[in-house]
Amino acid sequence: MKAFSYVNPTNERDAVRALSPEFEKVLPLAGGQDLLARMKDYVTEPDRIVNVKNALDATVTSMPGGGLKIGAAMKIVDLVEHPQISKLYPAMVLAAGEVGTPQIRNQGTVGGNLNQRPRCWYFRNEEFVCFKKGGNQCFSPSGENQFHAIFGSGPSFIVHPSSLAVPSIAYNATFRLLGPKGERMVPASEYFTMPTLQNVRTENVLMPNELLTHVILPAPGTIKSGHYEVRYKESHDWPIAFATVLLAMNGDAVRSARVVMGAVAPVPWRSEAAEAALAGKTITEETAAAAAEAALRGAKPLSQNAYKIQVAKTAVKRAILHAAGMNVVDVKTI
Amino acid sequence: MLYGKIVRSPHPRARIVSVDLTPAQKAPGVKATLLWRDPADTARSIVMYQGDEIAAVAADTEEHATDAARLVKVEYEVLPAVIQVDQALAGNAPAVFAASGPAADNTPGTPRSNVRQGQTQETGDIAAGFKQAAQTLEETYSTHVITHVCLESHGAVCEWDGDNLTAWVSTQGVNATKDGFATGLKIPASNVRVITQYMGGGFGSKLGAQDPQSMICARLAKQANAPVKLMLDRKEEHLATGNRPSAAARIKVGVTADGMITAFDAESWGTGGAGAAAGFPLPYIYQIPNRRRTHKDVFINTGLQRPMRAPGHPQGSFITEVMMEELADRVKMDPVEFRIKNLPPEAPNAMWGSYLRQGAKEFGWDKRHPTGDPAPGPIKTGMGVAINTWGGGGSQGRAHVEISSDGTVVVRCGTQDLGTGTRTLVAVVAADTFGIPVSNIKPEIGDTVYPVSGGSGGSTTAAGISPAIRIATVNALDALKEKIAPALGVEPASLVAANGRIQVKDNPSKGMSWAEACKQIGPQPLAADGAWQPGLSSVTTSGVQFAEVKVDIETGIVKVTRILALQDCGLVVSRLTAESQVYGGVVGSLNFALFEDRILDRNTGQMVNPNMEWYLLAGMSDIPKIDVRLIDQSERGVIGIGEPPTVPTAAAVALAVRNAIGVTVRSLPLTPAKILQTLAQRRA
Repeated sequence: MKAFSYVNPTNERDAVRALSPEFEKVLPLAGGQDLLARMKDYVTEPDRIVNVKNALDATVTSMPGGGLKIGAAMKIVDLVEHPQISKLYPAMVLAAGEVGTPQIRNQGTVGGNLNQRPRCWYFRNEEFVCFKKGGNQCFSPSGENQFHAIFGSGPSFIVHPSSLAVPSIAYNATFRLLGPKGERMVPASEYFTMPTLQNVRTENVLMPNELLTHVILPAPGTIKSGHYEVRYKESHDWPIAFATVLLAMNGDAVRSARVVMGAVAPVPWRSEAAEAALAGKTITEETAAAAAEAALRGAKPLSQNAYKIQVAKTAVKRAILHAAGMNVVDVKTI
Repeated sequence: MLYGKIVRSPHPRARIVSVDLTPAQKAPGVKATLLWRDPADTARSIVMYQGDEIAAVAADTEEHATDAARLVKVEYEVLPAVIQVDQALAGNAPAVFAASGPAADNTPGTPRSNVRQGQTQETGDIAAGFKQAAQTLEETYSTHVITHVCLESHGAVCEWDGDNLTAWVSTQGVNATKDGFATGLKIPASNVRVITQYMGGGFGSKLGAQDPQSMICARLAKQANAPVKLMLDRKEEHLATGNRPSAAARIKVGVTADGMITAFDAESWGTGGAGAAAGFPLPYIYQIPNRRRTHKDVFINTGLQRPMRAPGHPQGSFITEVMMEELADRVKMDPVEFRIKNLPPEAPNAMWGSYLRQGAKEFGWDKRHPTGDPAPGPIKTGMGVAINTWGGGGSQGRAHVEISSDGTVVVRCGTQDLGTGTRTLVAVVAADTFGIPVSNIKPEIGDTVYPVSGGSGGSTTAAGISPAIRIATVNALDALKEKIAPALGVEPASLVAANGRIQVKDNPSKGMSWAEACKQIGPQPLAADGAWQPGLSSVTTSGVQFAEVKVDIETGIVKVTRILALQDCGLVVSRLTAESQVYGGVVGSLNFALFEDRILDRNTGQMVNPNMEWYLLAGMSDIPKIDVRLIDQSERGVIGIGEPPTVPTAAAVALAVRNAIGVTVRSLPLTPAKILQTLAQRRA
C-alpha cells in the first residue's frame, strides 16, 4: 500500500477542509470496508486519508413533516436495528440487512455503502487499466461479463454496488453534500451518474472535495414496501440482481408504484414502465409478472449475462408480491 | 526476522528482457534482493503464466517488502499466449508449446505441442458391444479448473546457523522438503531441519519438495544473514500454487434394454496449465466390458496443476455419473438399480451395492420422483446419488516411543498434520495400546528430527503411521511388562494394559496402576521403536453419497438441503477426526459443484477472480445437514479417508439438480446462468 498521511478532524467543516479538489488525492475513510481493500490492491493510491468517523453525524434525527435524517457515519448494523427506520422505511432495512456480512455491517457506514466503488473484477485487479483507472477501454464487453450491466450502453458496464442506493431512490431520498462553499441538496435520483467518456472515473456527482453527510428521507405516507435480492450464496456474496418496490394503494388497487432495480446497471435502475404497468392494478402473480416483464424491456445483455434478465425479472416480481404482502418463495430459506 | 516478497509476472507469457533490482535495493528496510529468473539465461527467461516467479526481496517489515518488490523494474516482451482450451484443440492458438517455439520453451520436460495426444486404451470389442446395445447415448461432459484455496497460504520461515538451515514450512511432507532444500541449495541433507507443527490445509498443493517460495525464502535468509518469513498472499495462491485440472469427455455409450452397459467410446481432454498433465479415471468404477478411450492433455498459459484432493476422481466421477443417470432414464430404470447392475462384483473393498441399498433406504430414495419435479411453483426438489473409490494405503511410517517414570508418554513420528487430525490419531493409537487416556500421551510430530515417515498425500498418512505407532507402543508395553512382572510374580505375557492398569488378563485385581507400573522405569525413560509392517493396514475404500437439493427455476439458484455420506475406511481409529474428513470433503465437493471457478479473462489470460470475493466459497449458511455413516471394517485394518469423501458430492448434487429441474446440465459449476439457459433451451 502506498504510504499516506492521516488526519482526524472532529467536525464536518474541518473534514471538508482536509479534502482536495484533485481526483483521488485525498479520500475520506469511514468504515474502511471498501477503501482499505482498494488501497491494499493498489487500485486507489491517495496521498492523504481523512478519517470522517469522528467528523460526520452517525445519528438519526426526526424531520418536520415526519421524515428522518440519517447521518452518513451511521453504521449499517445500527440502521438495520433502528426501530423508527424499520417502521417507516422497511425496504431500506431489508436492503441494509443483505449487505456483506455481520462483520462488514458492524464496520461499514451508510455513506460508505452509497459511495463505494464498483466491485467489477476488472476495476479491482490492477492488471486491467480500464476506463475507471484512467485507461481507454472497458474490458467487460469482450471479456468476462457474467456479473455486469444489462442496461446502459457503456462506455463502462459496471453495476452500481450499493444496496442502500436502490431503496434511497425508491423512497425519494435527498442527499446532503457539504463542500468548501457550503451545503447542497441533491435528490438520490440525480446523485448517481450514468457513465460517459467525460465522467467515467466516478459513479456520482460528489466532488472530490465534498462529503455526503446525510440521507434525508421524506415521510413515506401510507405505502407498502417490498424488497427481493438474488445471489449465488446465502452467506457473503454480491447480488446478481435485486429490487425495491413501493406501492401506494387505493383500496385493493395500486394508485402509484415505485420500482427500482439494483445490480443491473451502472446506476440504480428505476423502471417507470413497470410503475405504469402496476398503476390501477390489483396485485396478483400475473400483474406482478407483467410489471416485471415491463421492467426488463429494453435490457441489452452482454455476451454472458443474458441470464440476469430472468433473474432481475424474478427479483422485481417477488419484490412486488412482497410489497403486496403475498407469499414470496425463497429457495435459500425454505 | 525479515519478510520476503516475490516479484511475479503479470503476463501469461512473456520474455524477460531485463530486471533491475537497484530501485528495490535502495528502498527503505530492504536487506536482500534476489534474481530468480535471469534474463541472460535463455532456458529460464520466459515466464509461462501470470504469477510465474521472477525476483524477490526481503525487508524489515512485510509492508516494506511489498513496496520494494513493486519497485523491481522488469522489462517484458509480451508474447502470444494460449488462453483457451478450445483454441488449442482447434489448432488456432499460437504454437506456444511447439518445438518451433522460442528456445526458452525447450527446457527439459516441456511439451512439444499445445496438445499432447495420449495412447488409445482399448479393452474388449467396441463394435460388438455397440451391436448388443438397444440404445446409444452421445454427449459431452466437462468440469472446470478450481484452486486449492488452503486457508493457510504456502510459505516458510527460514533461519540459518552457519551452513545449517532450519525451515518452518507449510508442507505436507517435512522429509521430502528437507531433501528438496538439500538438493535445491546444494547442501547436505544432514544440515537441514524442517518443521511443520500445525498447518491450515494443503489438499495436495503442498507436496512439492522444491517449491519456489521455499527456495527463495532460504536464499534470501542466507543472503541477509537473518531469518526470513515468506508467506504468499491469496492472489499468489490462486495463480501459482496449483489447481485441479479441467476435464472433458465426448462419450458414445451403448446400453441393452435391460440396463447393461455394453460399449463405451470416449475422447477426453483437460488442461493442467503450462505443461502439466490432466489425467482422470474414465469410466469411473462401473464395469463396461468393451471400451475405448483416447486422452489429450491440453497446455495453456496458466499456473500448473498440482494434486488436489483425490486427483482426477471428482472429474471422472462427475462425467461418469451424469452419463449413468442419462442412461438409466433411457432404459427407464431407477438410477440406484441401474448403478447396481453395472458395478464390479461386491468385495470388502467394493461395497457400493450394499451401501447404495442401505443409503437409499435411509435417505428416503423411494420418495424420489422421476426426472423433473412435478410440484407446482418455481421451487423444485430433487435427489441424486454418486459413488467413490480410493486407495488410501500407506507404508512409510516410523515411530519412537518413550515412557517416563511419571507415567507420561511421548510418541515421536516424522509425519505432519495438515489439519486432518494426525496429531490426535497418534495419541489415540498410543493411548489404546497402553489403556490410558489420550491426555497422557504427548504426540511429537512435524519435525525431521523424528523418525522418518512419509509425506501426507494420497490419504496414506493414517495407514502409514498407525501401524508404526502400534508396533512401537506394543514394544514399549512389552518392555514395561518385563519390568513389573517379577514384582507381581507373574509371567510378562499374562499381563494386559487396560483402564489405566497393567494387570493379569483374567484376574484384574492382580496388577498395578499405570502410574505405579511406570515408577519401576527409573530415571531413563523406557524407549522403543516401530516401523510400518503389513497386516495392520489395508488399501482401497468404497463409499456412496446421496444429495437432496432445491432449485429455484426462476433464478437458477441451487440450495443443497441434505447430504448422506456412507464411507468405509477400514478400522476407524479416531471417529471424530474421520467424520470431520467426510464433512470437509463434502463441503469441498459442494463448492466444486456450485461455487468455485478459476475465471480467466479470455483476452488477456489473467485471472479476474484471484480472491475470495468473486472466487466463491460456501459459507456456513450454504452448507446443508451432512449425515455421515462410517462403515466399520475393523478386520481390514487402517485405511486413509482424506480423499474419498470429496469425490462424489459434486456429481450427486448435479444429479439432484437434474432430478429437480428435468434437464441436464452437463458441465460444472452449476451456475444460475447455465441452469436458466438449459431450462430455456428445453422450453424452446
